[in-house]
Amino acid sequence: MTTTSGKDAGKFKVDKTVDCIGLYCPVPILKTREEIEELTSGQILEILADDPAVEEDISRWSKRTGNEIVCLERRDSVLRILVRKK
Amino acid sequence: MVTNKKILYVQTSGIDRPERLYAPFILATTAAAMDIDTTIYFLIKGVESVKKGEAEKIKIGDFPSLKEVMDQAHKSGVKMFVCDQSTQLLGLSRGDFVEYAKVVGAATLNDLLLEADAVITF
Repeated sequence: MTTTSGKDAGKFKVDKTVDCIGLYCPVPILKTREEIEELTSGQILEILADDPAVEEDISRWSKRTGNEIVCLERRDSVLRILVRKK
Repeated sequence: MVTNKKILYVQTSGIDRPERLYAPFILATTAAAMDIDTTIYFLIKGVESVKKGEAEKIKIGDFPSLKEVMDQAHKSGVKMFVCDQSTQLLGLSRGDFVEYAKVVGAATLNDLLLEADAVITF
């Protein structure tokens, strides 16, 4: 998994955002799946989440589905993840 | 020598079943000593025993307290994952688990099951 700083995160153009703040397992993964289906290969999905389970879960989801995490950063309790559709 | 084997222990029993709480820690600690990659995943009522302060209260017969056995497992390299969402099922407050139990979710358990060479549930 690639982790970049907030400064580097700006180099990615976000094509769509899925806001999972306040939502808990398994909803963030299900919504991520739903939204990634709508994108085309190479596009970037931004996921915002505050469920602590998301960090480990999204990395394993990424490993299983082949959609790459290109950025993962934390701001206070909010995790911002950028996923590139395979 | 066989290497890179993985065992997953799944703990679903709660603090009302103390006789089912010791075995995964003892087995996992032993597995770690056998160079096996070892994980315990706590869900449903299993999350009760990894809430801070609970394992200290549990002791059976001549065995050490559950907390001592849990700490020993951690020191041996056993990984511990906890399903925080189970707290909502049980009407407990979120979080506040022992410091070495990492909060994870359903995707992680599914992945661990597929990765494991053996799974045993308590």
